[in-house]
Amino acid sequence: MLVKLAYTLESSKTYYKTKHFFYEVLEDENSLKRKYFDLFMIFLVLSTVAILIYEVNNPILTWLDTYEMIAIVIFIIEWLGRFWVNSHSRRHIIVDYEKSQLLGYPYNIKTSLKKIFKDKWSFIISPMSIIDLLAILPYYRPLRILRILMLFRLFKILRYTNSIKQFRYVFIEKKFEFLTLGIMFIMAITFGSTIIYIYEGAGVNPNISSFFDAIYWSVITISTVGFGDISPVTIQGRVATLFLVIGGMGVIAFFTSIVTTSLHDKMPLIKEEKVIGESNSYKEFTIICGFGRMGQVLAEQLYNAKQKFIVIDPKINSIEHQYKKNFLTINGDATNTNLLEKIGINKGAKNIIALTDNDAVNLSIILTARALNSSINIISRANDLATKKKLYLAGANNIVLSNEITALVATEYIGQPVAFEAIDDILLSTEGAVMDEIEVLEDYKIINQKLNSINFANYNLTLLGIIDAKNRKNFIFNPKKDQYVVQPRDILIVIGYKDSIINLRIDLLSKGFFQNGEL
Amino acid sequence: MENKIVIYSFSPTAMQIAKTLQQKNYHIVVVDTEKENLFKAQKLGFETIQMSLMEDENIHSLKLSDKNIKAFFCLSDNKNTNLFIILSVRNIVKTIPIISISFYNEDNKALILAGANKIINPYEIGALRIFRLLHKPYILDVLDNILFSESNIEIAEITLSENSQFNGTYLKEFHLLEKYNIIPLGIQDKEINDNFIFYSHGINHKLDSGDTLVLLGKSTDLKSIKSLLNDYKK
Repeated sequence: MLVKLAYTLESSKTYYKTKHFFYEVLEDENSLKRKYFDLFMIFLVLSTVAILIYEVNNPILTWLDTYEMIAIVIFIIEWLGRFWVNSHSRRHIIVDYEKSQLLGYPYNIKTSLKKIFKDKWSFIISPMSIIDLLAILPYYRPLRILRILMLFRLFKILRYTNSIKQFRYVFIEKKFEFLTLGIMFIMAITFGSTIIYIYEGAGVNPNISSFFDAIYWSVITISTVGFGDISPVTIQGRVATLFLVIGGMGVIAFFTSIVTTSLHDKMPLIKEEKVIGESNSYKEFTIICGFGRMGQVLAEQLYNAKQKFIVIDPKINSIEHQYKKNFLTINGDATNTNLLEKIGINKGAKNIIALTDNDAVNLSIILTARALNSSINIISRANDLATKKKLYLAGANNIVLSNEITALVATEYIGQPVAFEAIDDILLSTEGAVMDEIEVLEDYKIINQKLNSINFANYNLTLLGIIDAKNRKNFIFNPKKDQYVVQPRDILIVIGYKDSIINLRIDLLSKGFFQNGEL
Repeated sequence: MENKIVIYSFSPTAMQIAKTLQQKNYHIVVVDTEKENLFKAQKLGFETIQMSLMEDENIHSLKLSDKNIKAFFCLSDNKNTNLFIILSVRNIVKTIPIISISFYNEDNKALILAGANKIINPYEIGALRIFRLLHKPYILDVLDNILFSESNIEIAEITLSENSQFNGTYLKEFHLLEKYNIIPLGIQDKEINDNFIFYSHGINHKLDSGDTLVLLGKSTDLKSIKSLLNDYKK
């Protein structure tokens, strides 16, 4: 029976979809749904705690009670949801069943159930699950005494915020240091409280009547808080105080240094995770590997063109410091498969640019990227003419050899300086005349009409030519305007001012064009 | 007489430039202090001279003011050397085009001030090319074809001579596009200033001698318009 159910669930699309939805909302760190859900839960937690504070000094209002009940119901559903998506019970049954079939011994449901129980139990006793449960518990009125546990709901917030999670890791990572600190602390407290209790406990100091008072005094003293409600009256007690205070300063210094250094160590990792999270939310972006002079210029250009990009460089911190620009950067090695995958080379990345000054590294980047994604557009810098071929062989789509282009540009400049400056102007300037491509989209009104139905002169535009929709290598220079019929996906190459080009684009979409060339 | 180009300092960039210029039938003269560099240049078939250009007599000995020397490239990796040599050369020869490289745009101003006509930043050019590959790949393709390859469409600049019959006529009267299959990109007017005026600006420009027209078209069409424009006044 259970086996049958497991198979039905495995093949059910709705089941899979629902479970995936819950997973996205509750656990998927890159999902937008989860972000909204987290915000909503934080609000819910804070509001129920606010109610708790309000009820201390005010009569209980029924609607507040109802509100709290709804919140509790949501908390319970949330916990059950997590309980559900935490592991895949049906898989255990299926895997075990198929294994027994294969090996030919009778299937025992108990082994599968044991595994399922183990999975679920480990979820229940995980710290976060316990906090969740403790947050739900106080609603049960007979347990009102446990109202303080309501504050555990605040800990629930930990679940919903990533940065606090990182902070938690700091404590886990520095376990050893904190353990040492804890032992030191306990030793100091034990010494201090024992000494004060021996010398002043037996009626000498009226404020110390029990060993707990002694412990309370030494904790207050060692932390350098020193309320002064209990103070030593004997010489021995005062000497103990002196040592406790000095030791206390050491403990505090040690504690602060552990937290600051480990946070400092963690900072790049926290930042990296933030950058990766952001890059994963992009639908289309470019990965720039190497942040030398070329990388910087390219990044600047992409930034100005409002294109999304992310920079990887192993020395990014020192370079960034000089450059003082707030780009998305990762300190890392671009030949690292894991890193490229994390950034999203298979998700949103459309282009990857290898720009290091070492051709071997560039080659390695190309190969890694090509191995991970066969369709991504790879452009590489070549530093040596001899390596150009190899880089193409590795899988690059385009190679740019700056010396080669520099040479071409220089040659062109000697031949025709005025023409060269004009082209340079068109290509570099952000204002003034630009050269632009207008792709004929499916809904443009000009399709299947002759080219002379657009009066380019009216727009102050010069049409240089058309790139054929069928063959992108075919550039038709100055096509005959009374003969050429515009096809969808043709690309018009025009020169003119930005506003003119925008105007034409708008008109192409909205206005009908007629054969006589009037709009 | 052969057109000559003088290149100072035979860096890898210089080597590439020299090779490209050689293909365009320029005679290359390489000046460098390092024997090793000169040996490489000799192997590639360039004329070589071993000397430093820090002294004025050496610059004089190059006879840069000769008509057949078309340009002087100052391509040292050291910015200060470039500045010093450009200033010295400009001081001796007023007219020669001086082209230099810089790796930081901040240095461009100083180099121009010293007397260079054109500064090329290899990194910037490379990066801009990649940007265009990403941003406007088709335009890049078209431009590459026009500028750098042996396609039949070319860009040409034609300076109007004093005796041209077209002095005083208006650019739009030509109907370059319809009659000659030539696209005018713009004009540089000596009278106004050295600024380049784009044709698509829409101003109907009056032609004078000394104006430089920048035209785009098939090489044969360009040749015929060039001879037409410089026909003597009848």
